[in-house]
Amino acid sequence: MDIKKLKPVFFIVSILMAVIGTSLYMGSYFSGLLFILAGVLLFMAYKWLDSGTTALVELIKAGAQALMVPVFGIAIAIVLGALVMLASGYDPVESYRALFYGAFIRNWHVSVLNAAPLMFTGLSVALAFHAGLFNIGAEGQYYIGAMAATFLGLNLNLPPFLSLILIFVVAGMLASAWNIVPAILKVRTGAHEVITTMMLAHTARYLSPIFIRAHGGDPNTSDHAYVTDQLPEANWLPRFKTFLPEANYRLHVGILIGIVMALLVYYLLYHTRIGFEIRAVGQNKDAARAQGISIGKSIMMALLLAGFLAGLAGVNQVVGLDHKLYENLSAGYGWNGISVALLASSHPIGVIFTALLWGALDAGGQYMARVTDTSNSIVEIIKGIILFLVVAKYIYAYLGNRIRRYRRRKQEAAEGAA
Amino acid sequence: MEAFFSIANTDLLVAMVRLSTPITLAAIGAVICERSGIVNIAMEGIMIVGAFFAAVGALYTGNPWIGLLMGVVAGGIFSLIHAVATVSFHLNHVVSGAVLNILAMGVTRYFMVLFFGHPGTTDPIPNTLGQLKWAIPGLSKIPVIGRMFFDQTPIVYFSFILVIFFAWFMKKTKLGLHIRAAGEHPLALETIGVSVKKMRYLGVFISGLTSGMGGAYLAIENSASFTEGMTNGRGFIALAANISGGWNPIGAFIASLFFGFADALQVRFQVGKVFDIPAEIFIIFPYVATIIAVAGLVRRSRPPKEVGVDFMIEQESD
Repeated sequence: MDIKKLKPVFFIVSILMAVIGTSLYMGSYFSGLLFILAGVLLFMAYKWLDSGTTALVELIKAGAQALMVPVFGIAIAIVLGALVMLASGYDPVESYRALFYGAFIRNWHVSVLNAAPLMFTGLSVALAFHAGLFNIGAEGQYYIGAMAATFLGLNLNLPPFLSLILIFVVAGMLASAWNIVPAILKVRTGAHEVITTMMLAHTARYLSPIFIRAHGGDPNTSDHAYVTDQLPEANWLPRFKTFLPEANYRLHVGILIGIVMALLVYYLLYHTRIGFEIRAVGQNKDAARAQGISIGKSIMMALLLAGFLAGLAGVNQVVGLDHKLYENLSAGYGWNGISVALLASSHPIGVIFTALLWGALDAGGQYMARVTDTSNSIVEIIKGIILFLVVAKYIYAYLGNRIRRYRRRKQEAAEGAA
Repeated sequence: MEAFFSIANTDLLVAMVRLSTPITLAAIGAVICERSGIVNIAMEGIMIVGAFFAAVGALYTGNPWIGLLMGVVAGGIFSLIHAVATVSFHLNHVVSGAVLNILAMGVTRYFMVLFFGHPGTTDPIPNTLGQLKWAIPGLSKIPVIGRMFFDQTPIVYFSFILVIFFAWFMKKTKLGLHIRAAGEHPLALETIGVSVKKMRYLGVFISGLTSGMGGAYLAIENSASFTEGMTNGRGFIALAANISGGWNPIGAFIASLFFGFADALQVRFQVGKVFDIPAEIFIIFPYVATIIAVAGLVRRSRPPKEVGVDFMIEQESD
């Protein structure tokens, strides 16, 4: 029998393995890693059957190349972080051990919980970047999404899954509506979206206390100040514990929704007409216009979709983790979403990993601060350094040129001497 | 009507000038920086760094002038990262600015814990520049105007001086012309033998100094402590002031006064409890005013031609 006939089987099984493995791993079942690896191997086998050895080698090479800069940046940042710790009198070895142990083993569930909202806001910023836009106000859309989700969650009384779907869609749309003004202004007058979305982010932040007071928050009592009422349990996002008994009881399936969203955004950007137009406008407005693409429509589309995605981050926190809305307790998921998107070079699939990395660093930092004397604010420094080293890609080209020039000079000098 | 007059009085105008000062200072920086061809959205971060180091200086030495100096210098040094990233390493200006804002939050949080043992707010600063009220003899006696412009605290005066100085500097000096040329037509500037790189570094550095001063104002003159996130978007409002002011210092100053007015109004409404409306509605004033200003005025002015455009001339070939 021809092995090539097995192609679709390889493909389907590899996807299945990846899904099972990811679900397990995100639920703190580390054996899920084996499934993921099996899935990757099967996918490589499928690729090999499909397009031959050279294509496979190319794929692996491209993957390794894409990883090189981030891995290098992270390594350097860890070294520099150690120097900062030494300079401020902390013990780097002990601190890092606690940080990594906390982030990836002991408190992995916290990492996953942190990563879920970052995935949504990261995707939001990344999507806008593809259109050449900077959705710096994702934090505001996050608040709108969270408020809308709280309102709907408190008031909806529908069959469980129906109400959840409704919450996600409606709250997301309201958050996307928060971006209508910047989008229209950008299209009509060219007003820079950095300023408009930023101002709306502050506006949304200050609207949240009003909302909280209107929905159960009472500053005059000590136990219910600055918090809304709790959502009924029917409107909570399902938890991993219902199908994986060993999983942490707080862990909810929001992370899986985030991963699915990343895949959807990837599909939208690279396999649909809208995505193509968005990317074309981001790369070269004049060329896009010459092709008959409507710049205004693409900009509107990108900003509204970005608002939708950032809003989902708020929904995810409310129906998944907190089940109520706290005042000023968003931990800056909107701002961090910018880092997550930049770190991934705005690639939707990359966002999955960078969100997990950022979430893990936060979780590890908290654990480190608990078990050692080191302050977890060192994590902020490490994040900043990683970001700079990854973003400033030109540094590597520059250094590469320097080294090449130096070698050539040396060679010329050697030739001249001979 | 009584409620109206309890708000609309000279105090409101004095507060307007006071609250516009940090925005004015950062906006002047934004003008110079954008005129040199570099977009600087990092001013928010530079301001917070300036505010922090000003507070540290004032707290540790007990002398607010040293605090001011430290704030300005820290802002300048921090801004150089933006200059290196955008001018030398050709990084996208907006990306670099965003990264710097994030870095600024991290750096201040880290030093906060290192110096004071906790995040959040520093101890109160005993001696601040806010305690020094310099009434200019004669002029300060003019009704309304006198109290607004001639009976203020030191950094407020500095901001006036800087507005006038930079308006003159950009228009009348050769260096000012070169900075403008770096943003309008860099190639021409390079052709006459002036380094575009240097002019752009200078532009960013000046914006760092003035934004640092704006941050210092918040910590050691307008209040008497540093709080994380105390800039509250003023760096971005300054950017809007620069745009609505048509990329020139005087215009930026007038736009800043407008935003300062929105801020002053907000404070008055909030403190005065004039209406039975949640205070947060008023806090939003300056942000909404900014959006309106950017929406309404942006069309009439023209940005420097090559602002945000990377300048790379053919270097030694490899």
